[in-house]
Amino acid sequence: MTTTDPTAKPPSIRPKATRSKQSQTTTTALLFLSPFLITTLVFFFYAFARAIYYSFTDFNLFNTPKLIGIKPYVDVLADPSFRRALANSLIFAIVTTTLQTVFSLLMAVALNNRIRGMAFFRSAWYMPSITSSVVITLIFLWLFQRRGIANYLITQWQAAQPLILAFLGVLIVVQVAQVLWERSRKLPAGWFDPALAAVSALIALVVVFVLNSTGVIGLREVAPYDYQYFADKWISIGGVRVLSIPLLVVIIQNTFTTVPTLMLFFLAGLQSIPGSLYEAADIDGATPYQKLMNVTVPMLRPVTFYVVTVGLIGTMQMFDQVAVIGSAAPQDTLITLAYYVYTNTFKNGAAPVNMASAAAIILALIILSMVFIQRKFFVAPEAN
Amino acid sequence: MTVIQAQRRAAASGNDAWLARRRWARAGWLYVFMLVMSFFFLGPFLMGLLSSMKDNPNEYPPKLVIPQLTAQYVSRAYNLGVQGGSNGWNGGLTPGRQVVFEVSVRSPADAPQDAPTVSLFPYQPVSLVAIARQAQAKDYAKLSTVQVSQSGDTKIYRTTVSYPVLTAQTGEVIRAKLTTPDSDVKAQLPGGEIVKVTLDTPAAQEKQYELSETQQVELVKAGENYYLRGPLFERTPMQVDVQRGQTIVNSTLPPSDKQNFDRSFAFRNITPGILGYTFNNYRRAFNETMDPTSGRSLFFSWVLNSFLYAFLRVAAAIVFCSLAGYALARMEFPGKNLIFLGAVLFVQMVPSQVNLVSNYVLLKDLGLLNIWGLWFNGLVAAGGVFLMKQFFEGMPKELEESASIDGAGPFTTFWRVMLPQAGPALIALAITQFQGAWNDFFWPLVLLRQNTDFTLTVGLSSFSQLYGGQGDYGLILAGAILSAIPVIIVFIIFQRYFVDTGSDSAVKG
Repeated sequence: MTTTDPTAKPPSIRPKATRSKQSQTTTTALLFLSPFLITTLVFFFYAFARAIYYSFTDFNLFNTPKLIGIKPYVDVLADPSFRRALANSLIFAIVTTTLQTVFSLLMAVALNNRIRGMAFFRSAWYMPSITSSVVITLIFLWLFQRRGIANYLITQWQAAQPLILAFLGVLIVVQVAQVLWERSRKLPAGWFDPALAAVSALIALVVVFVLNSTGVIGLREVAPYDYQYFADKWISIGGVRVLSIPLLVVIIQNTFTTVPTLMLFFLAGLQSIPGSLYEAADIDGATPYQKLMNVTVPMLRPVTFYVVTVGLIGTMQMFDQVAVIGSAAPQDTLITLAYYVYTNTFKNGAAPVNMASAAAIILALIILSMVFIQRKFFVAPEAN
Repeated sequence: MTVIQAQRRAAASGNDAWLARRRWARAGWLYVFMLVMSFFFLGPFLMGLLSSMKDNPNEYPPKLVIPQLTAQYVSRAYNLGVQGGSNGWNGGLTPGRQVVFEVSVRSPADAPQDAPTVSLFPYQPVSLVAIARQAQAKDYAKLSTVQVSQSGDTKIYRTTVSYPVLTAQTGEVIRAKLTTPDSDVKAQLPGGEIVKVTLDTPAAQEKQYELSETQQVELVKAGENYYLRGPLFERTPMQVDVQRGQTIVNSTLPPSDKQNFDRSFAFRNITPGILGYTFNNYRRAFNETMDPTSGRSLFFSWVLNSFLYAFLRVAAAIVFCSLAGYALARMEFPGKNLIFLGAVLFVQMVPSQVNLVSNYVLLKDLGLLNIWGLWFNGLVAAGGVFLMKQFFEGMPKELEESASIDGAGPFTTFWRVMLPQAGPALIALAITQFQGAWNDFFWPLVLLRQNTDFTLTVGLSSFSQLYGGQGDYGLILAGAILSAIPVIIVFIIFQRYFVDTGSDSAVKG
């Protein structure tokens, strides 16, 4: 944000008229802003203040609130389900933000080519991010059933393993042979040369087909893989339950939903990097990996800042997925801070609304400090 | 590495053909990669769409070719619908109709040679609303099974389902709905008029107490009297059982369910019509959430509520966000930076759970736990204000200056000069607000307390709680697909703005 404003009018000769004009402008501006300001005051600032107030009282939706000091915070911090919610939220936010940022960046780098038909693919990939989280969660619940499509695909993968391994083996052998042959002809072929890889893939495909039809290798007989995802299963490190399998499914789902959008952000950022930087790197003989780490990543810093900030704010507030999955998974495995606040506010009988408010304030503080730390360590986009 | 660089290198090395080959191969791999990613990103939706049409969306292993999308079976479903209900789309069974259904049974020489046992069975939907017990086709229709041909050890049996009319009178046939009976059976005609229904045959009188309110019936108008012709059935479920050793090798429609070591075939509906066959789950989403007394479908109300909410949000955003954005972008007044930092940026960082209790209590006290309260709660989106501020800041200043020279006041300037220029930004704003409102889940879940007030997202999540964990995925997937359609349509029409706004704001930060 700039403090000097270029739109400021030049100083007038008659100060009195200026002052009245200025106050008139202020009135108009406030009039223009009034719907926004009034609703924000009522539904945000007043609500925020009340939440802070409630978090120091014994309010339970039905009584008259009475101040009881920091007891709600003490209660909340002692509540095992709050601790689980806090751990789940933090792990979810960190893992999801990391995954979606890395994957979208890599995809954007892979796709940073002006080729025909790009527009079609871009709009196709946008599908997960325009549909509601409720719809996607319902579809994922269905995909990840015990006898669902996800487990079916894993079964197929296991059954086809001999074919896949044979394909990869042949592919690598043929590719190495070809590259060596090209190099012996003094051509600068890289190990991942695309044209040779295409030939290698074709050859590997034919070989696997022949081996399969002659019966040398074939599909394996495997029992249907029926892993139950939405159960009380945990990934533990040193005996500490870190990440539950249901939460892992939600992480996969969230990454799936956001990667295409974030990829478009990165793509736009990539296309604004001047080509001369890459040319300079080429002259210095930089490898593709060096170019990625020393040119692309630093140049994308503003976009990365935006993507990470938005990602953290969004993932810390994760609620929809947990609420939709509801009783389909054990509550401990999925509970997040946002869901903790919701369930405590609407608990039957006397709801511990004071604890819910305290948890909400803690959630807000976490998010705000995350954004603050981000700003300190990353270069903010405005600085560029 | 871009194509251009590859070209430069080609010129440098002078080995054009070799590099051109590489370029083509690279493009090929890219396309393969993009196709794979498309499958990855679209796959779940396409599988969901396909499975929402299946008899059993949980079938394992999942099939990709399903009879519901096979021309042969769809046309048979159409024919059966015509036979049963004179309508190939809706199907159903109406009085006086006959339906012919064929089943082929293979009976090897050492197996029993009996004809299969064919019967109708009842269907009572589980639903979110209390549906009165509806009349069942099995209590009204008659079955007869005859063998029509034999080739080898396979015999083809033809089952005729006939539904005799319950009156001896003839005349104009009218569709009506039964209402609360007194000493007589009463029906409400399509015009709203309530008439007495005469039961003139013993068969009709026998059924008198089995017919419940809201049952759809056909009446015959003869003279001044209305005679009961018979209830209407949306579906005709049929079951075919064969003996041990026999196998059912073919049937007019494939079975919905096989049991008892494949010796018992259940056909969910032998008079489906196309809607009842291919789009059965979609029709169920609407019909099985129908409140029979008001005739309003819950699902349909949810759709309307979602549209209303989205429309209200878009309208409010277009007016209020652009006003606020303009003021923040182009006017000088004390506290401007504070408002921008506090009410636009800070608001977007604080989770909505913080405001949950207060807003819920406030709106409850105001009696606004409905769509309107939901609307007030998110009336002016801070994100929208931000977007409009960014846009107005980028507009040339000459427009306003010339307007103010012409003596236009700030409101006229905004309304007549600036807003008409803001078309693209307003479209982007409208799209994001529509999408946000349509997909909104947290606030509707908190503020909407009656299931007739629900928006689609909340309603859909209540679908999944319906069958105790083991959800009715046919219904859930159909509902999910239906609720995704409006956003997809908006996206296809305005996709340019979707992609543009996203990347623009990212570059600008």
